Amino acid sequence: MSDLVSAAAAALGIPESLTQRSAEARAAETGASLDEILSAWAGGAPPPATTQEPSPAATAPEEDEAAADPEPVTTAPVIDIPVPDTPQPEAPIPVGRYKPPVLVGVKDNPVGVLVGAIGLFAVIALIGLVGPASLADEPGARTSAISYSETALEGRDIYLSLGCAACHTQMVRPVVADVGLGDVTLNDSNQVLGTRRFGPDLANVGARLTSGQLEAIVGGLGTHPAHSLSPQDLSALVEYLSRSQSDGN
Amino acid sequence: MAETETTDIRTLLGGGAGEDRLAVSHFVVGAVFLILGSLLSVLSLVALRFGDLIPVSFGRVEPMANLSLVIGFGVISLVGGVYYVLPRLTGARLSSTGLARLGLLGMAGIVTAGVVAIGFGFGSGRQPFGLPWWLDIPMLGTLSIPALTALRTIAVRTEPRSYVTVWFVIAGTVWMPLLFLANLVGHLPLLEAVQVAYVDMFVSGGMVTMVLLTLGTGLLYYAVVKELDAPLASRQLALVGLWSLGFASVWWGLAQLTFGPGPDWISGVVAALGLALPVAALANAANVSLTLEGSWGDLGTNHGVRAGVIGLYLAAIVAALAAVAGFRSAAAVTALTSFWEGIEIAWMAGVGALLVAATSLSALPRLVGREIHSGDRVRSFVRYTLVGSVGTLVTLATAGAVTGYSWTAGSNSAAYADFGEGWGAGVGATADTLLLLGALFAIVTLLGHLAYASVVLGTITSGKATTQELLVSKGVDDE
Repeated sequence: MSDLVSAAAAALGIPESLTQRSAEARAAETGASLDEILSAWAGGAPPPATTQEPSPAATAPEEDEAAADPEPVTTAPVIDIPVPDTPQPEAPIPVGRYKPPVLVGVKDNPVGVLVGAIGLFAVIALIGLVGPASLADEPGARTSAISYSETALEGRDIYLSLGCAACHTQMVRPVVADVGLGDVTLNDSNQVLGTRRFGPDLANVGARLTSGQLEAIVGGLGTHPAHSLSPQDLSALVEYLSRSQSDGN
Repeated sequence: MAETETTDIRTLLGGGAGEDRLAVSHFVVGAVFLILGSLLSVLSLVALRFGDLIPVSFGRVEPMANLSLVIGFGVISLVGGVYYVLPRLTGARLSSTGLARLGLLGMAGIVTAGVVAIGFGFGSGRQPFGLPWWLDIPMLGTLSIPALTALRTIAVRTEPRSYVTVWFVIAGTVWMPLLFLANLVGHLPLLEAVQVAYVDMFVSGGMVTMVLLTLGTGLLYYAVVKELDAPLASRQLALVGLWSLGFASVWWGLAQLTFGPGPDWISGVVAALGLALPVAALANAANVSLTLEGSWGDLGTNHGVRAGVIGLYLAAIVAALAAVAGFRSAAAVTALTSFWEGIEIAWMAGVGALLVAATSLSALPRLVGREIHSGDRVRSFVRYTLVGSVGTLVTLATAGAVTGYSWTAGSNSAAYADFGEGWGAGVGATADTLLLLGALFAIVTLLGHLAYASVVLGTITSGKATTQELLVSKGVDDE
């Protein structure tokens, strides 16, 4: 048996384990014995592994073409890559068995798709990224930029690493919902804007709460998750939050 | 034929050509990250409702879940699908299996490192993945590998005609590193907060539409036609679907910043171009439906295709919701609320998982020569994933609407000091209950994802033997 498997594997050019398994599957499917299958393959029969029988409409002309064109032995996978626009077969198509070829493509140049994809991305980036970024500040207009100390900037990094912005915004909008949260945030803001407000907005929290209150909340007061920070980090974070209030510019 | 157990790693991966084993590896690694991501997603919603219950806060768990689900599961699995279809559609062997293998190791390694880094407080705090810059840079490199591999393979193709999947593969694999390049720009210190916020939303939106949906839909077009032996209904509709996904790309995400400090005209662009998202989803769903004409009955035995078709319909619903929320009047209520959390989870855990399954469950039997391990478990996967993700979407979106209306009415806007600056101050009891229900539905989704992983692993280890699709080429060493 193992000799047969080896011979079949050698003839097919595929690993023995695969040959064995494929032969078992084929034997179960056809009712033939394993030895018969392996003997046939060892004698140079075609590989057993194609999953779809090519349609009668597609095979005859393709075989003729293959015979005339010895080309792609090195790259052709043992699968059916259908060829579109197949000439109509001369033999009559069995009624009820004809299916049009699937996975049909068109002759094209993939470079066009590549250029289109990159070009579209460039346009989108221009509108969605460069556009909002190219805002000109009007001289003399109110600013919402806050002059943070070095310690507060360290606190800002801690704010980011803790993921505070996943629940808190620092963005007061000109809408009814945000009335009372402080001055509207402008496009020169240097606060961490955030996009979720599961907890309160913190744009102006320094004007509402004392440092002690902020420390208690960060430590887990009420339903706020407790963050275990070193005294230095806690101090920096509280400094950052305390500075988060309108400068009155 | 009796089930056969196998443990040899090479045989486990099917023992076929190098690129086929590589594709199987991607599916297996993706399934593992799906479980991790789904578990983290449950934890994030629990943390959202009970802030002090688990030691890691929502702010850290959420990007960990996003990273695992989108890149760990979605991108890795879809890239596996790309490596599976490319040789079959181009008539050329994959350009470099060694490089592609490096890409898999890189992505898996960086996602793992990222999850650990964020968990220990080294994250950047940015959406959607929160990776620090020193992991974002190598991630850009590894995400470029699929594009390089795909383009180099297509360049030497022997099949001069391109099936539509090739177009989706080109676009999806190229957009992926470009999006991450934009993401890297967000780390630059010279950017203002508003610009960083736009970059984050740009990347969040793009990863769903330009990567997950583009590659997932393109590969579904291959699976449907291949498995059902039915010709594609319309190449033009597929084109509409592809380029609409490109146009929709980032706009549905930017809707979250409506009324923010960005320019007003952006909200108009967001509302108008955001409509391209449901257009894309509907075009693709219609195309697949037309292709299935006369073959609907076959879906009962084609597990993968069935999952993909359901995923495509779910995508149309989620896309419509996202597009509607892009208009200013709707954004006045939904922006900054859990509404968008629901949309994002539905994309990642629902649509993403179902589309990926369309490719992996169709490809695995052909790649490893083993039947799908358990049809019942596949049905469980589809059922639980659908119920769980839709349930999470509905509950979180409703909670968001309740919260938004509450804010609009002014009940919370000036009342933070009265409530205390605590967790849940921005939501009422109704929203709290809905968030709890959302977490429970996420557990249902997790059950579905566990079923998927067990099907993938069960198929390659103990599925019944069946015919295998082999890539062979004389004189070429697969190693």
